[in-house]
Amino acid sequence: MTAAISLPQFQRPVRADETSGMSERDYVIAAQKGSDSAFAALVRLHERRAYAVARAIVLSHEDAEDAVQDGFLHAYRALDRFRPDQPFGAWLNRIVANAALDLVRRRKVRDADELPETVALPFRDPGESDELRRRLGDALTKLSDRQRAVIVLHDVEGYTHGEIGSMLGIPEGTARSDLHHARAALRRLLKNLRSDS
Amino acid sequence: MSDHLKLHTDGEDAEITRGLRLLYAAPTDDGYWRSLEARILSRLTTAPSIAWWDELDRWMRPALAAAAVIVLAAGVAMFRANQAEEIVTYEAMLTPTALPVETAVRPVLQGQRDATFRYLMTPR
Repeated sequence: MTAAISLPQFQRPVRADETSGMSERDYVIAAQKGSDSAFAALVRLHERRAYAVARAIVLSHEDAEDAVQDGFLHAYRALDRFRPDQPFGAWLNRIVANAALDLVRRRKVRDADELPETVALPFRDPGESDELRRRLGDALTKLSDRQRAVIVLHDVEGYTHGEIGSMLGIPEGTARSDLHHARAALRRLLKNLRSDS
Repeated sequence: MSDHLKLHTDGEDAEITRGLRLLYAAPTDDGYWRSLEARILSRLTTAPSIAWWDELDRWMRPALAAAAVIVLAAGVAMFRANQAEEIVTYEAMLTPTALPVETAVRPVLQGQRDATFRYLMTPR
């Protein structure tokens, strides 16, 4: 999966003397001046968080990857408009979240009549599924897209209500309310499972 | 409900959170992240650039929509003007035209017959 990818401009790895001692702000400024290796370093720094944000919003691992790639592409193109004194991660996560929300909307239009029955399980971990995870996957599809994103961003990724609101373009109070309703809905939907166990 | 499960009705549920973390766990293999990084960077170079014609293309659809609205509005305005003109013409045809003055007034009686008639009709 990794070997065949060609990198016309970015193939050169970031050298230690280019990156050592550089802060994120330095990378941003260098990337704004046209340094591809600096942007590559920013990708390396933020891709995991970006993936986590995207994965909280979309339904599958593959869609999360697409959203992350779209997000970095948008960020790269909008880099000139970014002020380096701002936190790059927060700015990038907003862009990735928008890309993920856009992907969800497009998927809904395209797959209007074939909704997924469950939230896709992690691609790498098919053997670990148990009843709770299966039921949880089912229950998550009963939540709205926004509620699902909010509960995952908060309870799994540890973002605050304010950060989530900023990422998803909703007021902090709405994120708080969504979290409350999402938790209540999951408890209700998983009640039988708990009673059985 | 089993004893080991703790439900916090007003907060986070430990078991649900554990399930969510399993469900949404990100890949841990460094090779995967190197691969994703490579794909992201590759995408930057292969994606079409945003040039002025791309910007133009971006505005093409709204511009076409605006033009269509303008054409539609102009068409409606022309249709209404034409319709009004037709109504005026139609009403003008239906309204009886005023008679010429000569036909409106009583004809001047002339001749012997008329003089006799006038004589007979004149009160004494």
